[in-house]
Amino acid sequence: MTTGAATPPRGAERLLDRVLAGAVYRDDIVGDLHESFAAVAARRGPALARLWYLGHVARFTLRYGLRVTILSPDTRYSPTARGGTAMDRLLMDVRYAFRSLLKRPTTTATIVTTLALGIGANAAVFGVVDAMLLHPFVMHDVDRIVMPITTSPRFTGHRETVSAADFLDWRRDLAGGTIEHVAATDWWDANLVGRDEPERVLGFRVSAAFFAALDGRAAIGRTFLADEEVAANSKRVVLSDGLWRRRFGADPAIIGQPVLIDGMQWTVVGVMPPSFTFPLMAEVWSPLTFDEKTSRDRTAHYLTVFGRLADGRTLDQARAQMKTIAQRLATDHADTNAQLGANVFTLGRGMADVGVPAVLGLWQAAGLFVLLIACANIANLLLARAAERDREIAIRLALGSSRGRIVRESLLESAILVTLSLPLSLAIAAASLRLMQAMMPARIVRYIAGWNRLGLDAWTAGGTIACAAIAALIFGALPAMHMARGIVADALKSDGRAGAGPGRQRVRRALVVAEIALALPLLVAAMLSISTIRNFLITWQGYDPNNVLTMRAVLPSSRYPDAASRERFAMLSLERLAAVAGVREAAVGNVIPAVDTNSVRAIEVAGQPIAELSKWPRVDYRVISPHYFDALRMPMLSGRGFTSADQTASERVAIVSESMARKFWPSGRAIGERVRLANGDWMQIVGICGDVVHDWFDGRVPTLYRPLPQDPSEALIFALRTAADPLSLVGDARAAIAKVDATQPVFEIMSQRQVLSERTISLQYIAAVMAAFAGLALLLALLGLYAVMTYLVAQRVREIGVRIALGATGRDVTRLTMSQAARLTIIGLAIGLLLAVALSRAMEAGLLGVVSTDLRVTAALAVALGVTALAASYLPARRAARIDPMVALRTE
Amino acid sequence: MKAKDVYVGELEQQILLIVLRLGDDAYANPIGEMLATAARRRVGRGALYTALERLEAKGCLRSTMGEPLPERGGRARRYFTVTTTGMRALRESRSVLLGLWDGLESKLETS
Repeated sequence: MTTGAATPPRGAERLLDRVLAGAVYRDDIVGDLHESFAAVAARRGPALARLWYLGHVARFTLRYGLRVTILSPDTRYSPTARGGTAMDRLLMDVRYAFRSLLKRPTTTATIVTTLALGIGANAAVFGVVDAMLLHPFVMHDVDRIVMPITTSPRFTGHRETVSAADFLDWRRDLAGGTIEHVAATDWWDANLVGRDEPERVLGFRVSAAFFAALDGRAAIGRTFLADEEVAANSKRVVLSDGLWRRRFGADPAIIGQPVLIDGMQWTVVGVMPPSFTFPLMAEVWSPLTFDEKTSRDRTAHYLTVFGRLADGRTLDQARAQMKTIAQRLATDHADTNAQLGANVFTLGRGMADVGVPAVLGLWQAAGLFVLLIACANIANLLLARAAERDREIAIRLALGSSRGRIVRESLLESAILVTLSLPLSLAIAAASLRLMQAMMPARIVRYIAGWNRLGLDAWTAGGTIACAAIAALIFGALPAMHMARGIVADALKSDGRAGAGPGRQRVRRALVVAEIALALPLLVAAMLSISTIRNFLITWQGYDPNNVLTMRAVLPSSRYPDAASRERFAMLSLERLAAVAGVREAAVGNVIPAVDTNSVRAIEVAGQPIAELSKWPRVDYRVISPHYFDALRMPMLSGRGFTSADQTASERVAIVSESMARKFWPSGRAIGERVRLANGDWMQIVGICGDVVHDWFDGRVPTLYRPLPQDPSEALIFALRTAADPLSLVGDARAAIAKVDATQPVFEIMSQRQVLSERTISLQYIAAVMAAFAGLALLLALLGLYAVMTYLVAQRVREIGVRIALGATGRDVTRLTMSQAARLTIIGLAIGLLLAVALSRAMEAGLLGVVSTDLRVTAALAVALGVTALAASYLPARRAARIDPMVALRTE
Repeated sequence: MKAKDVYVGELEQQILLIVLRLGDDAYANPIGEMLATAARRRVGRGALYTALERLEAKGCLRSTMGEPLPERGGRARRYFTVTTTGMRALRESRSVLLGLWDGLESKLETS
């Protein structure tokens, strides 16, 4: 080296030398750059030359450096050898894999479709899980929104509402503590009167802090002020964006304008942004106020409380503080609060439906089963292909190719298949989600947190891709392992028949067994869900749900302040409705069977006194008009029904259901006995009517009926027995009510059949999704069995040929093949039966006893699946029987 | 053995011609410089080595190593010469091009 001549940075040169290890021109490249460096340094100075040199090192590092030595280390890099830079080689492998996939377009298309169905189904369920469980609410810092709740030993459900006095104490004690913006909400059926028909809109009365707790800021105007929680200032409303657009034409000057709700003037103070419809897709909010009496009431539990964790406070701290507060209230107000405690839930937990996680878990499990079946199918197809390539791989191994390389190629092929199926999977998921959303009636949607957010989002897409990657590993591993194990000598010596090894056949058979074993539990689960709904919809209801039109009205206390006015409205409406052409009988009650509301009261039975009010037995409570039993076609078992003689001032009377009579008067003499409500007059029982199914969870529930004039409720549900299609009378029925009070909205006008159907909507959903999964599983399992039987027959062509040549009949051969299929099916069914029993037990537990395991159904499905499976293997068996021995023996 | 037809691309053609021109001094550095100056073509070093390797693999170029040189950090130069295969490839592409050019010169000049 001449002294004084500029030389490249030594470290960089050494790095370059290292990077180029194995390259053909290693020395030339290093030398050439060294030589050029001097020239560049002379021209532009040493600093720029060094930069120039480093730039080149970086580029060569990228070009050569990422290579993975697969060929033996002393092999020189050359584009002619299989090798090259890591990128070159990867691209080469990708091209190779693509080409080999394209060579078998049918197989590839089958695999991609199967995979897309499996992944798409999972992605759809994951989308539901995401929307309903993981991210049901989109609010700022949603994890810090909490729901303080009352707990009581009597109430085993998941949360109990809060009394007004307790709420006020909580709010006072929590000030400056762990939870801020403590706010209560109460349901408000707002009867809105506008230019057109009166409309009942879903509203909530809320504390002023409600919007701050839930991160709601008005888009126009403001939310409520603290001093609007006083009755005198409380005639204010905040509108939802939807209501503002629908009823007020998105009028920006609405702020400060009066609106007529429940017959009174309210001033609009704000409009919320479209994203804020909490809770339950509410459309209007007004300030929650408490009068003297309610603010001291600790017995009526009706408030739902929200709040936000104070800065730096944790959920555990909030729970501890609430516990302390509840303990103090239990001591101070022992008469009402002795049994009560308090807990704090996160918003997600507090608003979640108890059954939802179980159902979603079930769906996800079903989706996983389908994906596993799909993977088994694909693994089978790929195994068959791998077997075809045994010789090729053996030759490559013999020529020195590494097993790692071959495994990598095989995994790459799986990765490409998954990548190809991803767009299709996402499309299937998006379509299923849209379908699920479209099928759910809007009325139900509001009760399901997160449902309106159902759709493909980044989370779901991410989950789908993760799921696809797992699938690729599952179905890619088997053929990859098979290829890696490839034994050179055996494959080269073999007669070229693909995949004849006994081990390989065992794997393929095991896959088919697994598919059948997984399909059976899905079928059973789907059948259980369907039969449950069928039971509820078709079997005994206790009344005749056909040809009944129902509609609801909620009378505002401002227009209907007393019992007399409510009774008058009900009776006048009934008169008008009964006069509508096509109506046979008109009746009204506070609750009719199968609607989604209920009324329950504690009663005392004469002669069976119970000292403590909280231990009084509870019965379903119905206030009904005369002809109610006639209209619903409910049987009177003994005694009399109500008549127009049962008036406000007349003797207090009641009718009890058969189950109630049996429960309280087992000796059988209910008529003439007396019952009373808490603080109420004694009522004489005058009749016994049949039971009805109100809620399929509960079956026959003891029910007490009273004549409407003796306790007219503000919530009314009309039931019209019609001569023909009940829905044809909707317009006339609405008009009849409007003649009584034009400002009174009626809503949820539907036939009793629709009521029943909506009541089972969640079960219908579960069943429909399970049925879709089961159908998919069945199809895939049958395809798998068919493919494997075809394959096994192809494997044994020569053997079968010999048998036929030696005198075996077509029937013998068919029997031979079918018995093979039967063995696989029976093993699969045996395992599947165990899984099915386990799954249906899990369903029983998860769905709160709605479904019950039916071993006969399970057995029947197993037999049906077995028969179908054998039918699927009949085609290959027949093909085997028709083998021409001459042709078969010549195939080698 | 019957000589195979070897096809060379444009860059490869230019490299072969430059190697011919450079004669005894044809190693990577001057080849790259001449590509930049005479052929008005800037080619990255990596691409140049890849092209040289490819030409060698096709049998168009042959290389011999020179003496280790101090200005190269003690490494030798690799000198390239064009083989008969390379000459044949050049002749072939030249005649193809000339055939295609035939009669078009006037047209190109007037337009």
